[in-house]
Amino acid sequence: MSLPRPHISVRDLRIGWGTRVLMECITFHVDRGTIFAILGGSGSGKSTLLRYLIGLERPQAGRIDIDGVGEPHRYEGVPRFGVLFQSSALFSSMTLAENLALPLTTWTPIRGATARELVQAKLDLVGLGPFAEHLPGEISGGMKKRAGIARALMLEPNLLFFDEPSAGLDPISAIELDQLILLLSHDLGITIVIVTHELPSIFLVADNCIVLDKAAKGIVAEGDPRKLRDESKIPFVHNFFTRSAPGMTARQGG
Amino acid sequence: MGLGFFENLNHSNWQEGPLSGGGSGPSVQFGGIRRNRKHEWCLVSVAIRAEREADHARLVPTGPFDLAHAMEAAREVESSEAHLSECTSVDVDLAQLDRIDGAGAVLLARLLDRLDVDGRQARIIEGSNHEAAQLIARYRERREDLPASPSRVLNPLTRIGALAAELPSKANEALDFTGRCAVAFLKAPASPNSVDWRSLPRLIQEIGADGLLVTSAANLLIGAIIGFLGVSQLEAFGTVALVPKMVVVAHFRDLGPLVTGMIMAGRSGAGIASEIATMKVSEEVDALQSMGFDPVRWLVVPRCLALALTAPLLTWLGDVLALLGGLGATTIVSQMTAHAYVEVTLNAITANNFVAGLIKSPFLGLSIGLIACGQGLLTSGGAAAVGTRTTTAVVLALFSVIVISAIFTFFYTLIGI
Repeated sequence: MSLPRPHISVRDLRIGWGTRVLMECITFHVDRGTIFAILGGSGSGKSTLLRYLIGLERPQAGRIDIDGVGEPHRYEGVPRFGVLFQSSALFSSMTLAENLALPLTTWTPIRGATARELVQAKLDLVGLGPFAEHLPGEISGGMKKRAGIARALMLEPNLLFFDEPSAGLDPISAIELDQLILLLSHDLGITIVIVTHELPSIFLVADNCIVLDKAAKGIVAEGDPRKLRDESKIPFVHNFFTRSAPGMTARQGG
Repeated sequence: MGLGFFENLNHSNWQEGPLSGGGSGPSVQFGGIRRNRKHEWCLVSVAIRAEREADHARLVPTGPFDLAHAMEAAREVESSEAHLSECTSVDVDLAQLDRIDGAGAVLLARLLDRLDVDGRQARIIEGSNHEAAQLIARYRERREDLPASPSRVLNPLTRIGALAAELPSKANEALDFTGRCAVAFLKAPASPNSVDWRSLPRLIQEIGADGLLVTSAANLLIGAIIGFLGVSQLEAFGTVALVPKMVVVAHFRDLGPLVTGMIMAGRSGAGIASEIATMKVSEEVDALQSMGFDPVRWLVVPRCLALALTAPLLTWLGDVLALLGGLGATTIVSQMTAHAYVEVTLNAITANNFVAGLIKSPFLGLSIGLIACGQGLLTSGGAAAVGTRTTTAVVLALFSVIVISAIFTFFYTLIGI
């Protein structure tokens, strides 16, 4: 039953449409139980890379293995990971409890009181216990993010993908979210991949990262973000981490 | 904290299972859920052993307490509680747990919560399973005992009551909106910049030109239907010669504006309502307001104007096509010649008949516009609200077209036009 050590391994991935190549030679590994950040300026393709990792797009070339399972079998049947989308993507016509119950009733035989108990426990875990019967339109943006995380956790995944979790949140909500991410990683042992450009958040939570650059059409740096900040000689990486000089686009969406 | 345990706990359950029967690639096992060849859920035994010693009890959960076995685990938890009557202290021994994930931890955490509430001493004996104890503790400490929010499920009587209670505020909303529109229409000429005039040609194109085909076809067929009906009914009295007059009177005065109005209500009403509802949901309307625009003036005035302008044009064209339809139908099924038909028709088209219909249609257009825009602007919530408001808009617009037509006809009869 032993599993390959890297949780996700990406080899020689090429991303593009037709003859247009957005990124190539993307190779990296995500270790089990760690928090991994995908960084880059706007338009560098970090959200696009995420779409490939979660299987919404098929790569032009290369391989993405999760738990040693490659395309296309990975995306059949029970989802093996949770995803938090940038807009939370809660179904607006369903209450939070119904949103959370959906993966349970779709993929498991769990029904009735047990299902309600599990849903409520996940809402409690993210601090939304009293809001089970609220519609997504009735809660704040930060609460929607947390509800999105709770929904992503419903099937007890061992891997979570977060697309810009703190985008559009105030600093306090963002820190609360970072703490929730750390809790998920440390207490529940979940591997987490975050697409972000929020520097404080990166330094607080990420164990490892890759930095994407539009001009280089791929990865320009890889490693511990704190080390990269202090030691990297590459101008783009240095500018990115120190928020200085030209070419810095860290404040916009990508 | 070491992650070793969790690797057993969460990750070791991932494996490529045996090939499934359908040959659709390797079946995967997720958190212990496994599908067999018949795609049924296979469950491995989960149990809670209960040991009693006078008023002390020991619960020993065994097997995999995870998402895949949550239903079984829940049943076990429930039946184990039955063994606990008259116990004052309960130990939960985690030593024999195969694995545990969030779902299993929740079930055990709730069991401990209930024991605590009953005033019994509940203890966890973690043995070597420190991480499992922590996981259970995690789901216990986050529990907030807050009053449950009111349920959304209402019984039928309550719903009827709630609907009735909403009526005054709905009527108030409608009157308020009509008032704001009236003000907006009066103010529009004073400050022409506050109205989105540039959208007017596009709107007229969408409402009028693009809807021409369907309104024309409908009017043509209605004309033909009146013709057929007239011939079949009036032939017995030998008064087929009156059919052309009947087509003119019925269609020009009532059916023309009504049919055209109903088609416009369905087509343009839905289009306008969903457009504005989407703008409202995506905060575009708020953006307009924040930039100092009055959304009613900016959005509603051009739409109502476009509808009020195009409705008489479409009705007029529909009238012409209805005459053609009537002509076709009558000449096909009766002895009447086309020449005779045209002659009678020309005599029947009086100013009264013609104007009576055309005067109605701008009002029909206006009411469609007001209802569609009003429902659009009242939207709040998400994607589902857009659908609900659009449906309501179309229903109300159709109904208002019929009601306004009826009022006009009643009024004409009263004053004898």
